[in-house]
Amino acid sequence: MGSGQGHAMSVNVDIGTSPRTQIILPSSGRLESIVFFLATFLLVATTAAYVLLKPKQEGPPPLLDWQVSSFDGLSSVDQAIHSALLSAADEIIWANNDTGRWPSIAELQDTLLPPFYEDNFWQVNGEVKWQVIMPGANKTGEAAPPPPPKTNNGLASFVAPNAVYQGTLGQGTASYYGSGGTAPGQSAYLIVIGHAHSGVYWINQATLWIHKNPNAPFPDILKPEGLVARGWRQIIPYNGASEVERVKGNG
Amino acid sequence: MVKQMIKQFCVVLLLALMGLSSTWAASNSTGALTLKGKMKVGVTLHPYYSFVSNIVGDRAEVIALIDAESNPHNYQPQPNDMKRAMTMDTLVVNGIGHDEWAFEIIKAAGRKDNLPLIYANASVALIPISGDQGNAKIVNPHTFVSTTAAIQQIFEIARRLGELDPVNAGYYRSNASAYAARIRRLRADFMTRFAKLDLSAFRSATMHAGYDYLMQEFGLKISAVIEPRHGVTPTARQLANTIDAIKKADVRVLFAEKYFANGLSKPIEAATGVKMYSLSHISGGAYTADKFEVEMKENLDTLAEAIDYTAHHPKGN
Repeated sequence: MGSGQGHAMSVNVDIGTSPRTQIILPSSGRLESIVFFLATFLLVATTAAYVLLKPKQEGPPPLLDWQVSSFDGLSSVDQAIHSALLSAADEIIWANNDTGRWPSIAELQDTLLPPFYEDNFWQVNGEVKWQVIMPGANKTGEAAPPPPPKTNNGLASFVAPNAVYQGTLGQGTASYYGSGGTAPGQSAYLIVIGHAHSGVYWINQATLWIHKNPNAPFPDILKPEGLVARGWRQIIPYNGASEVERVKGNG
Repeated sequence: MVKQMIKQFCVVLLLALMGLSSTWAASNSTGALTLKGKMKVGVTLHPYYSFVSNIVGDRAEVIALIDAESNPHNYQPQPNDMKRAMTMDTLVVNGIGHDEWAFEIIKAAGRKDNLPLIYANASVALIPISGDQGNAKIVNPHTFVSTTAAIQQIFEIARRLGELDPVNAGYYRSNASAYAARIRRLRADFMTRFAKLDLSAFRSATMHAGYDYLMQEFGLKISAVIEPRHGVTPTARQLANTIDAIKKADVRVLFAEKYFANGLSKPIEAATGVKMYSLSHISGGAYTADKFEVEMKENLDTLAEAIDYTAHHPKGN
């Protein structure tokens, strides 16, 4: 009976009062909601800012269409020759620093330096014929020839018989050119060593180029844009520095 | 008890001071170290001990980061490694997957930001692991088991040491050139041994993906690698697939590991009829200056034997 009386009283009270809603505010005056909202906003904003502003762990830059990676862009023969050339280029530059001149192919062979030394590696990898092209020279080891006479045919006949001369004169560039290889998947190869100064042998000055035609002629210009226009592609070595950059980022 | 605590405190204090002194020896604005006495050059792997010893001669001290008998493939850093890391002026690392534990040691020793690292492979053209890796191209970190890539690392190390210690830069480069010439002579002597042999029948498999650089520089082919990943034993299915691949590729010789025993080489030899040889990974035994040359010569002798075998034992004989 007691509880029934209480319920009835409650109803009476409801009937007896006007139907209005009474909002009872928390004692903190909605502070919790504001704090909760602000904390949520802060969390979302911080996360978004972190994601947007975090320095990206970027690997090596992507290759351009005239470049090829030594890691996965070469045939096995080209890859083997490239590995040897990369090491040889350093030694050629060192030799130049020590002696003041570019070593001949015969000298490189005397030091047993691959891929010039004609051993089993050379045989298996296509027996490539190598030439060193001095700045301004038209044949291996020769001094610069006099400029060729111009003809009525103009530039084409000027360039064609003297492509090597044109390719090296005035650029201070020495190059080692390999062609005539016979292995499957073989290319032609070019080390371009640009404008070396005495005493700077630690600087990597050599770039390596490849042409899918193993008998591609020596290019009449050794500047990158000229090489690209003549079908040469620069080999970008995928080396330890690239791998460290890929794994650990460059930041 | 109290005495022991004081002793431990003193050890910690000493280590901290050693770390601090190494920090003081850190590089100046030109990249050169400010050295008080001989430069202390740390190395992570046996070949690098040989390389650096031959480059620096008596003008620097070479310190191996880990104990000689440790297996660098699954190494767990030890307290002594940290002590050694604290005393070094620089550290030569492989840096492309063969000594990742070194970075843990450096961090634990508090040298992460003040120990100049020499990445030996910085300028070495890397190649993928041979054999079927599920179409994936995985970098092979064994650049030190070779002659050509080894020479390139020697030059890179000499170059960086010269930057850190410019007073001796010329000396280091000269030594590096002489050392490289010796290694190249080793290669040439080996080449003359089988210059007349027919290599067309040479097909090899290796237990461990440690010999791609070595084979590449001699124009030799690896048709299969037994380990599916570096230091990982194959499952039964992977092994069966590899045995099939060995048979299909007409592989004649299998190169096992000299230092790291693997129970699979004998069963594979029995299942496929290949002849087994052992090559050195140059990653065990004492650290010595001539270790690389000695073990590389042994490797080349072994390789010459294997080539001779394939040339004189055509398929079916």
